[in-house]
Amino acid sequence: MSKILNTGNGACAMAVKAAKVDIIAAYPITPQTSIAEKLAAYVAQGEMDAKYLPVESEHSVMSASAAASAAGARTFTATSSQGLLYMHEVLHYTAGGRLPLVIANVNRAICAPWCLYVDHQDAVSQRDTGWIQFFVSTIQEIYDTILLAYKVTEQIEIPVMVNYDGFLLSHSMMPFEPADQALVDAFLPAYEPNWRLHPQWGGTFGNVAPADEYTAHRRRLAEDLEKAKELIESEARNFQDLIGRWHGGLLDWQGPGDAEVLLVSMGSMASEVQLAVQLLERHGIRAAGLRIRVFRPFPREALARIIPAGAKVLVFDRNHAYGTGGGALLSEIKAALYDRRDNIQITGRVMGVGGEDLPASLLASQALEMWEELNR
Amino acid sequence: MLELRIHGRGGQGVVTLAELLAQAVLKTGQEVQTLPFFGVERRGAAVKAALRLDSQPILVRSLSYRPNMIVLLNENLLSLALSEGAAEDVFFAANARSPLPVNAAQWLVDATGVAVQNQLIFAGEPFINVPMLGALCRILDVPEPAMESAIREQWEEKTARPNLAAAGQAYHSVIKIQGGAA
Repeated sequence: MSKILNTGNGACAMAVKAAKVDIIAAYPITPQTSIAEKLAAYVAQGEMDAKYLPVESEHSVMSASAAASAAGARTFTATSSQGLLYMHEVLHYTAGGRLPLVIANVNRAICAPWCLYVDHQDAVSQRDTGWIQFFVSTIQEIYDTILLAYKVTEQIEIPVMVNYDGFLLSHSMMPFEPADQALVDAFLPAYEPNWRLHPQWGGTFGNVAPADEYTAHRRRLAEDLEKAKELIESEARNFQDLIGRWHGGLLDWQGPGDAEVLLVSMGSMASEVQLAVQLLERHGIRAAGLRIRVFRPFPREALARIIPAGAKVLVFDRNHAYGTGGGALLSEIKAALYDRRDNIQITGRVMGVGGEDLPASLLASQALEMWEELNR
Repeated sequence: MLELRIHGRGGQGVVTLAELLAQAVLKTGQEVQTLPFFGVERRGAAVKAALRLDSQPILVRSLSYRPNMIVLLNENLLSLALSEGAAEDVFFAANARSPLPVNAAQWLVDATGVAVQNQLIFAGEPFINVPMLGALCRILDVPEPAMESAIREQWEEKTARPNLAAAGQAYHSVIKIQGGAA
């Protein structure tokens, strides 16, 4: 197929349509709203054979989505910022309930103060809900990752959140290539759940569990999240075989393979980091971008494998892990690499919060400062 | 990479202009990106959008600080636009009938006049973004058929017709001058 031009939100809606989703429950919030609007239009115009539920809040959105998934429907919703926070209780419930779901979270800062622009605090605040979390950096990757997310969630029965940056990707237009519907159908066949809430199904769902059953159930969720890493990588390869595009598995090394200075980031910032890497090259610093594409489950093993001994790791966080002195990604990277006990140096900066713009020149100057700190 | 920063006011269709132009540019085989900046979303407030063109995929995910070209839907946005930065060799495209007070190359088109002549008027306001599209396609060497198909993809035939006429008129009436004293 030839490339078309659309916004990130437009590409997201197209992928949801291509995935032949059955149920969409949605509530508007900037900068997500145009996804919900487009999907409502697809349904109203008969371009999509789905039920659209305009419910009264994000808590109800996630509750309706949980019920729809439990009833065996392929389910989608989208939100941002306060909307995601309002879903928080039900996010735990859907992961614990092992309900396949895909949600697009268009990253936006959270209150207070009020702010419409991008950062990752909304998603990072959900990191312990048991969901799988992707962060993407191009409009093509939004489209492709929505399809991949369904393939993953329906096999491992853990809900998936696809995160992309508000305005910088949601409202920016860039060329991308939709997939041929026949190829999408081949990659993502109709959903056949292992069980479903149905009058003829004799089981119970979400019942009270004593400690032994609860413990085992929650342990399985933790273990299956670990298994999800291999599943994501293998399905990303299947996607590549069938549809021909690759965005990395759990992480994406962007730049010279022999680089020993690594600029680690997530989301759209990772694209700009590639330009910062070129600026650092002019200062004689051989650097590469290392994009974390899957934040949950965190790719500890892949990181420990890929980062060379003696590397200087510079982490850019678009969020605060309040009370830790840095961002969430910094803590995660340090924890992931601690066991190696070789001479890796790690430092980080919180940048780009509340839409602070991050041109390559700023990323490069901050990287240079961090590099000098590590060399002292 | 060529970077444009389009300045207008809320209600003038800055975002639609950027998107239509990007659609037309894509048809020439170039990589393109629009990045609107949403500030206060009210009629009359100053709004802007970046448009980037390149031969290779565009990695920039930040706002426009040093555009090669500044596009003004209103002449009176000139000082605001300059205060937000520009490349040293920046040139201008403006909806204006007389030269801008800058010492730089500039393309001028009477987009308001073209809109009025083609009855592109909504709620008493001329729709100047489509005439500006015509002028910008000419400036960026986008062939007329690419511009026309971008318009046809946006609107059905009846609505497309006056827009096609206005864009074509602006395509052929935009003029280039070397600016006067700054």
